[in-house]
Amino acid sequence: MSSVTMKHIYKKYAGGVIAVTDFNLDVEDKEFIILVGPSGCGKSTTLRMIAGLEEISEGELYIDGKLCNDVPPKERDIAMVFQNYALYPHMTVYENMSFGLKLRKTPKDEIKRRVEEAAQILEIEHLLDRKPAALSGGQRQRVALGRAIVRNPKVFLLDEPLSNLDAKLRTQMRSELTKLHKRLDTTFIYVTHDQTEAMTMGSRIVVMKDGIMQQVSTPQDLYQNPVNLFVATFIGSPSMNKLEGSKLTEKDGHTYITFGNENENATVQLPDEIGRKPAVLEHIGKEVVLGIRPEHIHDEDIYLKNYPEYKFTATVDNVEPLGAQTNLFLLIGDQQATAVVDPTTTAKMGDRIEVTFEADRVHLFDPETEKCIDL
Amino acid sequence: MSSRMFQSVIMQMKEASNRLIGVIDGEGNVIAASEPSGLGDRWEDAAHRLNSANEMVTVTGGKTFKALTNWSARFDYAVFVDGEDDLAKSLCIMACVALNGAKTNYEEKHDRATFVKNIITDNILPGDIYIHAKELHFVTDVPRAVFLIRQVDKVDVAAMDVLQNMFAEKQQDFVISVNETDIVLVRQVQPGSDGKELQSVAKAIEETLKSELFIKTVIGIGTVANHIRELADSYKEAQTAIEVGKVFDTEKSVINYENLGLGRLIYQLPTTLCEIFLSEVFKKNSIDSLDQETLYTINKFFENNLNVSETSRKLFVHRNTLVYRLEKIKKITGLDLREFDHAIIFKVALMVKKYLDSREGPVRLG
Ligand SMILES: Nc1ncnc2c1ncn2[C@@H]1O[C@H](COP(=O)(O)OP(=O)(O)O)[C@@H](O)[C@H]1O
Ligand SMILES: [Mg+2]
Repeated sequence: MSSVTMKHIYKKYAGGVIAVTDFNLDVEDKEFIILVGPSGCGKSTTLRMIAGLEEISEGELYIDGKLCNDVPPKERDIAMVFQNYALYPHMTVYENMSFGLKLRKTPKDEIKRRVEEAAQILEIEHLLDRKPAALSGGQRQRVALGRAIVRNPKVFLLDEPLSNLDAKLRTQMRSELTKLHKRLDTTFIYVTHDQTEAMTMGSRIVVMKDGIMQQVSTPQDLYQNPVNLFVATFIGSPSMNKLEGSKLTEKDGHTYITFGNENENATVQLPDEIGRKPAVLEHIGKEVVLGIRPEHIHDEDIYLKNYPEYKFTATVDNVEPLGAQTNLFLLIGDQQATAVVDPTTTAKMGDRIEVTFEADRVHLFDPETEKCIDL
Repeated sequence: MSSRMFQSVIMQMKEASNRLIGVIDGEGNVIAASEPSGLGDRWEDAAHRLNSANEMVTVTGGKTFKALTNWSARFDYAVFVDGEDDLAKSLCIMACVALNGAKTNYEEKHDRATFVKNIITDNILPGDIYIHAKELHFVTDVPRAVFLIRQVDKVDVAAMDVLQNMFAEKQQDFVISVNETDIVLVRQVQPGSDGKELQSVAKAIEETLKSELFIKTVIGIGTVANHIRELADSYKEAQTAIEVGKVFDTEKSVINYENLGLGRLIYQLPTTLCEIFLSEVFKKNSIDSLDQETLYTINKFFENNLNVSETSRKLFVHRNTLVYRLEKIKKITGLDLREFDHAIIFKVALMVKKYLDSREGPVRLG
C-alpha cells in the first residue's frame, strides 16, 4: 500500500505569492499520475510538499493513510528524481547506486542485495563495474534511477527528469519509465510541463494552471472532454483552434453556429447532441468560443463527401509539410485555424480551399468564464 | 594523516590477497588492517627494529615490514604483511608502492585544500600566496568558479561527502567546509564559461543533495576568478549573492552575483538614503496603505510588461476591474503605473522597501 492523499492543500510564500491553491488529490496505490502545466504553475512546489522539503501552509497530506504534514522527509519513504542528476565520476555504477545507502549506514549485504536487484530491474547488471564516463546517455539515466530504486521507496517523485535529454533519448526514456513503473509496481508522481510526455506516460493526469488544479482525468478523457479553454488548448498538439466571437443561433429546433467575421464567415448546423444541450441553449444569441482540434478539420475528398453540411471556404495562409502529416494554416475571415491533413494535399499558400470538420467533436466555451458549455 | 585513507587502500588489497595486510604508525600502533581484529594493537618492538634497519624489508615476529617513504630519519608509517616468506616480501613491497602513492596524493590534496581555504577566507598574506602556490604546484592563472552552498532548514554533515564525490578531480576541484551550514566549491572551469554552465553545475549540486539527503540549499555563485588572488573576492560575491537574493529573489535557489541587477545596486545604498527616497516617492505613508492584493496586482502588471489585457487575463479579472485598481493606486500614490517613468519609480521603490524591511522589519514612514 502506498497511496498519497492531499486535502485542501495551500502553499503561501512570504511576499504574498500563493503557489498552490486548494489542491485535492487521491493518488492510488501503484498509480502513475502526472502533474502537468506551464512553468510556474506550482508543480514542483506540490511535489516538494509531498516530499517534505516545503512546509504545507494549509491542508493535510496523507501517505498510506498517515498524516504526514510534520513527518521529516527521511521518514516519508519517498525517493526523488530530478533533471540535473549528477553521477559520481570516479565511482563505479555499483558504488554510485550504493552511495546513498552507505551514507544511511545500511548493512553491506543489504546494500548488495538491493543494488543487484535494482540493476536487474534496470537491465544494467553488466555495467556495474563501469565508471560513468564509459556509459551512454541512456545508461546514465538508468543509473540515476537506480539510485532512487535502491531505497525501496513507497512513492517515487519525479520532477521533469527527462527535460535535459535530446529528443530521441527522451522518447526512449519515456517508454522505459513506463515499463519501469510496471516492474516496480509502486506509486509514481511525475511532474512535467510537456503535455506530450503527460499524454504518453500517465494513467491519470492533473492539469494545473496558476497553482490551481484545472482537471484530473485520463489522457483520453482530457483530450475528448476538456472542462475549460485552458485544458482544451493545453492538451493536444498542435493546439485546439479557438474561433472567438462565434455566434449561436436557433432555427427550426436546431442550433447553428456562425464563425469568421463580417466579411467572410460560415454558418453550420451543430449536431443536436451538442447543440441541444440545455447549457448550450442558454447561450443562443450570444457569443461563444468554438473549439475545433486541427486533426478534425479536413480537406480530403472523402471527408468533404461525408461531411458536406459542415463545409466552408478558407484561405491557405501557410503550408507546413511534416512527412507523415501536413499542417495547413488557414484563415476564415480574420480567424486563424490550423488543420492537420493528409500529406498528399495539393493546397498551396494563397489558395482558397474547401474544408470540412467533424462537427460532433467540437467544443463550445463561454468567453467570460472560459468553461466548456457542452459537457 | 587520515588512517581512513590507508584503510580504504588496504581494503582494496584485501580483494587480491587473503594475507593479513596493514599499516602501523611511527610508534607501532596498528592504524589500518585487512582484518579488524588487529586494529589498535601496539607493536613497539617492530617499530624499534624498523627505525634501525636498512634492508629492503624488515622481518620480525612472524611478519614482514616495510616503511613508507618520508624525509626524516625515523619512519612515520610502515606497511606489514603476515608471514616471513617470499610472497609476504613481494606483497609488502607492492603494498608499499601503492600506499606511498596514496599518501602523497592525500598530503597534496590536503595541503592544497587548506591553501585554497586560506585564500578565500583572507587568511594568508598576498605575498605568501605565490610562494605557496609554487610549492604546491598550484596553477595560479586558470579560470575558477566559486560556489557557496548553504544548507537551509536542516543541516546534514554528509553533504560534504556527497560534494566531495561529485567533484572528485583532485587537481581541479576543491570542496571546503567553512562552517556548519556552508560548503564552498572552488572549481576549475573552461576559459569563457558562461553563467548558464555555472547555473547547471549549481542545479546539479542542489538536486543531488535533495535526492541523496533531502536537504534544501541556496547556492551563491561569484564572478569567475581568472587568477587565484581573485578567489577571495569571488567568494565574497557568492556570499553577497545569497544575501541579496534572500531579499529580492526569494523564489530562487541559485543566485549568480552577475545577475543581481538592480538588487545589487540597492543593497549597497545607505538605509537613510533609502528612507529619504521612499518618503519622497510615497507621501504620507501611502505605500503602507496598499494591501496584499493590490501589491500582487502591481507585481503581475510588471511581470506582464505593463500590458493591461494580458495582466487582466492572468489575474482572471475583467479589464475594467484592473483599470479601476490602477486608478485607485494612482489616487493613493500619485503614480500612474501605465506610464513608463512612473512604473520604474514604483518598481525601484518596491525593491527599496523590500530591502529596508529585510534590514529592520517593516519601516514606518512619516
Ligand atoms: N521559495 C519561494 N518563494 C517565493 N515564491 C516561490 C518560491 N518557490 C516558488 N515560488 C513561486 O511559486 C510559483 C510556483 O513555482 P513552481 O512550483 O516552481 O512552478 P513549476 O514547477 O510548475 O514551474 C512560481 O510563481 C514561483 O515563482
Ligand atoms: Mg518545476
